[in-house]
Amino acid sequence: MQRLRRISVALAVAGVLGVAAPAAANAVTTVTISGATASYPLVNLLAQKYVKLHPGKVKFKIAQGGAQVGINDVAAGRVTIGDVSRDPLLSDPAGLVFYPIAKYGICVITNKSDALANLTSSQLVNIFTGKTRSWSGIPGASASGTIDVVSRTSVAGVLTNFQTLLLEGKKVFSAASEQSSEGLMRQAVENDPNAIGFVSNYQSDKGSVHAVNISGVACNRSTVTSGTYPGVARFYEVTKGKATGAASAFIGWIRASSAARKIISTQWVPVT
Amino acid sequence: MSTLVPFEFDEPRVMQTGRGRRSSPMTWRWRDRFALVLAWSAGIVLVLVAGAIVAYFAFRGVQYLRPSLIFSRPQISASQAGSGGFLDPLLGTMVLTAVGIVLALPLAVASAVWMSEYGRPRWLARVIESCIEIVAGTPDIVIALFGLAVFQLSFMGPFSFKASGGGIYGRSFLAAGAMMSLIALPPIFAATRDGLQAVPGHMREAAFALGKTRITTIRRVLLPSVRSNMATGVTLGISRIIGDTAIVVLLLGESLRLESQGAVPGLGLLRGTGSTLTSYVFGNSPAGEGAAPQKAYAAAFVLLVFVLGLNLLVERIGRHQERATGLSVATGAV
Amino acid sequence: MLARLRKPWPDVRAERMLGAVSCLLAVLVVGMVVFVAIHAWPTFSHNGLGWLGSGETPETSFEKMQATSVNPPPSAYHLRAWPLLYGTLLTTVVSVACAFVVSLFASIFIVELAPERLRRLTIPVIRLLASVPSVVYGLLGVLVLVPFVGNHLVTASEKASVANTIELTGAGLLVTVVILTVMIAPIMIALTCEALASVPSSWREGAIALGLNPLRAILAVTVRAARPAIVAAAVLASARALGEAIMISMVSGGRAFKPNLDHGLLIFLYSPLRTFASTIVDFREGISAPALGSSLYAIALLMLLGGFVLSVCGYLIKLPLRKYQVRG
Repeated sequence: MQRLRRISVALAVAGVLGVAAPAAANAVTTVTISGATASYPLVNLLAQKYVKLHPGKVKFKIAQGGAQVGINDVAAGRVTIGDVSRDPLLSDPAGLVFYPIAKYGICVITNKSDALANLTSSQLVNIFTGKTRSWSGIPGASASGTIDVVSRTSVAGVLTNFQTLLLEGKKVFSAASEQSSEGLMRQAVENDPNAIGFVSNYQSDKGSVHAVNISGVACNRSTVTSGTYPGVARFYEVTKGKATGAASAFIGWIRASSAARKIISTQWVPVT
Repeated sequence: MSTLVPFEFDEPRVMQTGRGRRSSPMTWRWRDRFALVLAWSAGIVLVLVAGAIVAYFAFRGVQYLRPSLIFSRPQISASQAGSGGFLDPLLGTMVLTAVGIVLALPLAVASAVWMSEYGRPRWLARVIESCIEIVAGTPDIVIALFGLAVFQLSFMGPFSFKASGGGIYGRSFLAAGAMMSLIALPPIFAATRDGLQAVPGHMREAAFALGKTRITTIRRVLLPSVRSNMATGVTLGISRIIGDTAIVVLLLGESLRLESQGAVPGLGLLRGTGSTLTSYVFGNSPAGEGAAPQKAYAAAFVLLVFVLGLNLLVERIGRHQERATGLSVATGAV
Repeated sequence: MLARLRKPWPDVRAERMLGAVSCLLAVLVVGMVVFVAIHAWPTFSHNGLGWLGSGETPETSFEKMQATSVNPPPSAYHLRAWPLLYGTLLTTVVSVACAFVVSLFASIFIVELAPERLRRLTIPVIRLLASVPSVVYGLLGVLVLVPFVGNHLVTASEKASVANTIELTGAGLLVTVVILTVMIAPIMIALTCEALASVPSSWREGAIALGLNPLRAILAVTVRAARPAIVAAAVLASARALGEAIMISMVSGGRAFKPNLDHGLLIFLYSPLRTFASTIVDFREGISAPALGSSLYAIALLMLLGGFVLSVCGYLIKLPLRKYQVRG
């Protein structure tokens, strides 16, 4: 009885080691990614496709937090790749390499009940800087009452780009409510008839919110591709130093393969 | 520590006896009549609010819960509203509860046994009792932050995941389970200790008279007799773990699916990230990313069913214990 | 070797082992306080007592902290957390006050006034309310109460009057306090009922014999005698209210604003706010930035100390109970 017990324990240990050893030999690499909430759906879809095409070789761990969180995490070595939705700034840590993977348009959105057709650039600036506080000051708006301005928290890359590209560099005023992700921004505008905000992938929100033309230009894929829409920005994948190994393979695949291009083209614009 | 035990009366309260002269409220002062109305309305409102909460979630649950949701895995897509179910969060809840209880049970029972059977030196017993009270009273968010601080230490790599740049991820089922064990520990400790203290002294004395050592008495006589108390404590601990969101949100990595880490099958699951029903509800509500209130309602309904079921189980165990030994079970709801 | 472990242990060894395991618990708790304090120290050392003062909005400070990743300069730690402290105190005090009134009268009802069948119904009701997870309360709040307040109670003129400072969406003090009251009432009711039930009924009967009507007798004698236990229940409930994070994060509006009675009572109730616990939940993703992480740990340390102080107060309040041999 004693001997039986000892033998079975030894067998169990050997079994575990036996499973672990060859498994460790061809271990799956894990690529960690964190960063912008705007590019999270895109990077998720790309990662899913990549794993399907290269099974058993690589795994992805994707977190969100905002473009700035992605930059911090990459610079500190906590993740391999950072998702960033804005152009590099001077204040970014040194040694980061930005790889553009897609183009997106920042669409200004209002609630579906307020089908505002067009906003001039100055009207847009006045609304988001708090100079115009009531919908009555905007001709063509069917909403009435106070304008509920919905913005993003300052770690968001989309906010930085929105301010640079569409607000002529001015900052959104402080009484605007700050949402910590694109999903929350969309919900806020969807649920409030007096709300106005901005998102990066209008395509997926077509059913729930209304996109406003800026200075006569509509916000859709063709204007973003052609560049006639003023608010066009890029999603980047950022690594510390040049990308190596699995990260480099993944980024290379995104930029070169047709499968990736097809995924990007569903709601965004590939970087040609 | 608080208790939610049904209180016992020695004699029927005066206002219940139908015989004898009872003063009619019509003769009272306005102030007392007002207080009477307040008391009655407070009681009625309490029952109504509880009923309304259960009814509303039952209504929404029946509206949105389909069996396919329970058995299909979450899909990663641009918007959560269309796709997938919550099988992974459900499994995550079970795995997390199992890890929490497995870690908490030996610790709690050992401490309770030591406290009630040995307990010397006295100052040490008081210190440990105060420590357990502190743990019971600590907000779960603080325990979660503590867990994050511990599991992101550089030597804690094997418990979660070490990124290529050297940073320790610190979030895994092991990390969250360890902190959940702190949450479940006070109920199990309290229930076991109260059970042990309620065992009549003559049982111990009889065992000693037969020549048994103290530890053997504990193992063979006392612990089996407090099995119901331990079961009550464990059930309360399980219901606390299932209902806790803050620790999950901070320490489980919030990945929709169970992502295991590393090659060894079981250990990989424990080192990996995932989600539970609570973090799924949080994530799908307007406070999180998913923007899928229907899924949130369905998951919340399942959660409520679990918790209410556990409540019923606690009551069942309590009644069984009372019938069996004549001792009532003090159910600690710390 | 295995055989030696399987034989019954001598008592001394067993006692030492069990004692060691119990000490492990004490070590864990001490370790918890120490770890949190170590991580919290940088922000306290850079801000000093001004940490609790007012100045720049906490959100602005947090977002500046997130922009500086490794080795932040001392100026990055700047934080003035008074709006967060104010929000915490406001929600805790108001909800404990409301819950106190409701619980007292509900307990009087349950213990003294309710017919037997109704009383037997209330025990499971209280258990149910106490065991509903906080995320379910939060879901109810954010999907039902917040839209109700935002769309039906807040008027357009009220929104316009504060449009330059905050946005009234319905998520704010009112919904937070209502749900928090429902969450902490069961604890208070359970403890108060126990306290009221353990006052000997002969005391109350004596009062009735002297001519008081029954309800007056309850209020004057039973409630008065159980006063320390009731206050201890309130203290325990406020420790629970202090630590509530997830529910408040979902319904409080997520903005470190100090609700101001100067704006009028209604706007005061509709104002968004942020508490200590909800701040930790909201900013948890940025915790890897050292300055922000240190600030969150500092908040956690304050919550630990607050809870500890409340426990000690509760214990001290219950001490006189032993004099009257009223079980607390």
